[in-house]
Amino acid sequence: MATNDPMPQKSLGDKLQSFPKSALYLALFVLVTIPLFFPVTLPNKPIEASIDFYAQMMKLPEGSKVLIASDWTNSTRGESMGQMEALLRIIMRKKIKFVVYTIADPQSPQVARDTIRKVSDEEVKAGGKAYEPFKDYVILGYFPNGEGTSAAINNKFLSICDGKKDYPLNSPPRDVMQSPVLQGVKSVADFKFLIVVTASNSSTVVLERVTKVPKMFMVTGVMVPETTTYYAAGQLMGLCGGVKGVYDLETLMQEGLNVPGPKEVTSEKYSEKIPGFPGMPPNGNGKGARYYPSLHFALFLLILVVIIGNLGMILSKKKAS
Amino acid sequence: MGLQYHDNGWIGIVITLAMVAMILLNIFRAHGTGDLYIRRIAGLNSIDEAVGRATEMGRPVMMVPGISAPVNAKTMQAINIFAYVTRVCARFANPILVCCNDATVLTVCQEVIRDVYQQEGLQDLYDVDSVRFISDRQFAFAGGVAGLILREKAAATFLMGEWYAESLILAETANSVGAIQVASSTEVTQTPFFIAACDYVLIGDEFYAASAFLTRQPVLVGSLIGQDWCKLAIIGIVIVGVISNSIQLMGGSHHTVTQRWNEGKFEGLPKPSPFNAGDTTFSRWLNPDPAKDTKIERPKLPPDEMPQKSAGGGQ
Amino acid sequence: MELFAQVAPKTFWNAPNSSTELLVKIFIGLAIGVALFFGLMAAPTQVRKPVLFTTTFVSGLFYVVFWLFPQPINRQPDDAPRNAMEGFSFWISDSQAVIADVTNIVAAFLIGLGIYSLLKVHAGRLVKQQKDWGFSAVLLVSMLAMVIFGYGDFIMRLDPANSKMAGSGYVGWTFWQFGKDLLFNGLLQNMDAAMFSIVAFYILSAAYRAFRARSIEATILLVTALIVMLSLMGLIEFYWGSSVDGLHLSNNFKLTNIAAWLGKNIQTPALRGIDFGVGIGLMAMGLRIWLSLEKTGGTS
Repeated sequence: MATNDPMPQKSLGDKLQSFPKSALYLALFVLVTIPLFFPVTLPNKPIEASIDFYAQMMKLPEGSKVLIASDWTNSTRGESMGQMEALLRIIMRKKIKFVVYTIADPQSPQVARDTIRKVSDEEVKAGGKAYEPFKDYVILGYFPNGEGTSAAINNKFLSICDGKKDYPLNSPPRDVMQSPVLQGVKSVADFKFLIVVTASNSSTVVLERVTKVPKMFMVTGVMVPETTTYYAAGQLMGLCGGVKGVYDLETLMQEGLNVPGPKEVTSEKYSEKIPGFPGMPPNGNGKGARYYPSLHFALFLLILVVIIGNLGMILSKKKAS
Repeated sequence: MGLQYHDNGWIGIVITLAMVAMILLNIFRAHGTGDLYIRRIAGLNSIDEAVGRATEMGRPVMMVPGISAPVNAKTMQAINIFAYVTRVCARFANPILVCCNDATVLTVCQEVIRDVYQQEGLQDLYDVDSVRFISDRQFAFAGGVAGLILREKAAATFLMGEWYAESLILAETANSVGAIQVASSTEVTQTPFFIAACDYVLIGDEFYAASAFLTRQPVLVGSLIGQDWCKLAIIGIVIVGVISNSIQLMGGSHHTVTQRWNEGKFEGLPKPSPFNAGDTTFSRWLNPDPAKDTKIERPKLPPDEMPQKSAGGGQ
Repeated sequence: MELFAQVAPKTFWNAPNSSTELLVKIFIGLAIGVALFFGLMAAPTQVRKPVLFTTTFVSGLFYVVFWLFPQPINRQPDDAPRNAMEGFSFWISDSQAVIADVTNIVAAFLIGLGIYSLLKVHAGRLVKQQKDWGFSAVLLVSMLAMVIFGYGDFIMRLDPANSKMAGSGYVGWTFWQFGKDLLFNGLLQNMDAAMFSIVAFYILSAAYRAFRARSIEATILLVTALIVMLSLMGLIEFYWGSSVDGLHLSNNFKLTNIAAWLGKNIQTPALRGIDFGVGIGLMAMGLRIWLSLEKTGGTS
């Protein structure tokens, strides 16, 4: 027989455990968006992995060559684009030539090309030298079979350059083997580093197969724990992880390492002074600096909702007992 | 001879071959032995429950073998598990939906699913469009599958294989429609997301043990035992290595060396140097550090086979 | 400056451009491919299993031999092998690049297979006006638009007269370039970013729903997660670090140091353990597939 009993009132504990999802999403949206419009500069202490990354790059002599696996697209631009920009700034200021390839996504070469062009334009505005495609860097393009390509890179690097064309300025596409960047390159060991900027498993694919060149990774925040196992074992010379890693690099580019100053960054591993590029872009306005406050607020909200949920659970249990 | 194991030296090859031998030995040993014990894996025990629930609700069972291009061992393992799930669904006459990220995965899935229906004598129930290709782009795939989950209101979802960022999108979407979820990712980064959002999760190599658990085929069970032997061997190597390194490093700063391993050979040091972790036997074995500049005198190719100079462009 | 076009040295797998040798090799390859194709189609059913087994085994055997056989030390492009062992090693090394190219080409052709499957399902749904046929129409129109604009843009950029398009700004851009830019940068890239952003919202709701200290282990997990998250917050870490700065002992209680200790001594070994298990499982699976010991689909 139907009854007309009113719905039992939700206890405080139950209410705390049943916030509507839309309210949570709205709170996250607001908290993450506010710092983007009202920039805040936060203090930062770079971690050793980022310091290793920066120090290794800064030790490269001018004119050396690095190989970059740009395995990211705009879906992870919050982290990967900042990493790529920081890397390119260091490379361009050290006048290092580079070769870019990708095994992750067909969109990646175009995304890399756009980023390189953008950073080069910013460097020119800041008084630096423009980086010309084909002359200072070459993009080999996308290789669908990542495992085979990585093995070929280790075994016979020039074989993957066969038939590849790139776009020089004011010139039709040309064979990459004619580029000054690849002159004198006979194997992957002729590069100083293989730097993988990735948000996918291309990091492990490269790690397993490319062994003749030192490697450094720039990965998204969620990949840091698994990549740290390789960094801790010495298989990687440096590691830049997530937005924190980007902000670390931007801090080091601004302050240098072991350079005396109000915001001096010191390291247990490196005792020598490694200068930064004070005053040069991004000069506190890079993606790391812009997104780091948003990360703060997002983490704060995450901690808050977990505490609220657990509080609700405790209150419910007390009421039930 | 001019040839070398450039990566881990000979020891990497020996360890790998030993592990292969252990697995193959146990595969052959398993033939003829009785039913061997495999511990309970909760996620796999719940397959019947999940399919039964879907049948009661009259809603489809969705299976997604992750994203991997092209098909690889991880995807094959996921498809093996899905074959079992499909067999259960076929017996209950429950509709299925398999969403593939890659064309090769699509063709393999279609073959396997059709074979399962034929083995059960239920060819008429097999719907070709139940196995479909969504997209090979990660988030287009995630969007497509999430949309299918919401529109079809899947009652049970099986998310197994190689997963990346789209894992949480699909898991939460399925959670929002009340689906019972069994998941497994070979990428440890995604396992926490599955644990937070799914009902049952196979962690690490429980995923590879699943086919042995479900089918009890001697080959698979033997392989599982061989894998366990390999893990024990690795544990043994780690313990022996720890003890060996500890003994060698016991001397502290009083223990010095007058020569150090560098680029494949011992080099004399100008003055004695404290013994460090890089000087231990295990470190030398596992880090062969081959010489980078070793010159090997080889004959040269005849002139007509050598690379030709040609005028390039450039400035 | 005269540049060195670094042409690949002659190997078994290549031949000089426009030479008779190249034409003969192409013809032989084509003949073998066609013969295999028709031969397999005409083969009786009982032959197919051995053929599959042989093909699988030989395909896998190459990479097994490539990995097992020692590689030549510091091989120069113009080096010739000194003996049979080194000759075999050179051949394996040269072949690997060719096989990588072949797999790249096969993988690229697989995109065609995917497009065929999409067209079959969605064109069928559109024609028969089945449920949700509107979505199918959107998919087909989008796919067609991307192909047309993408290909049109690519063809235009090959023309030497359009070389300025590669530079900054919109120099020389036409309808095709703007169309492709709208579809690629304006739509696809932003939709990708939006989909990935959804993960942040879902993490929040999943954490709110699932992270409960129901047991001692769960409580420990929550506390360590809290420490790691706080260590990522530079503001918190700065003030916490300033308050414990001073003695060497108290430095151990800085958030970054605690998080680093947790990462190095708890998380990394655990992940290594899982990685070992997964790696061995993957190797066993690969071995079973290579030796055709794996019965896909299982038995009842």
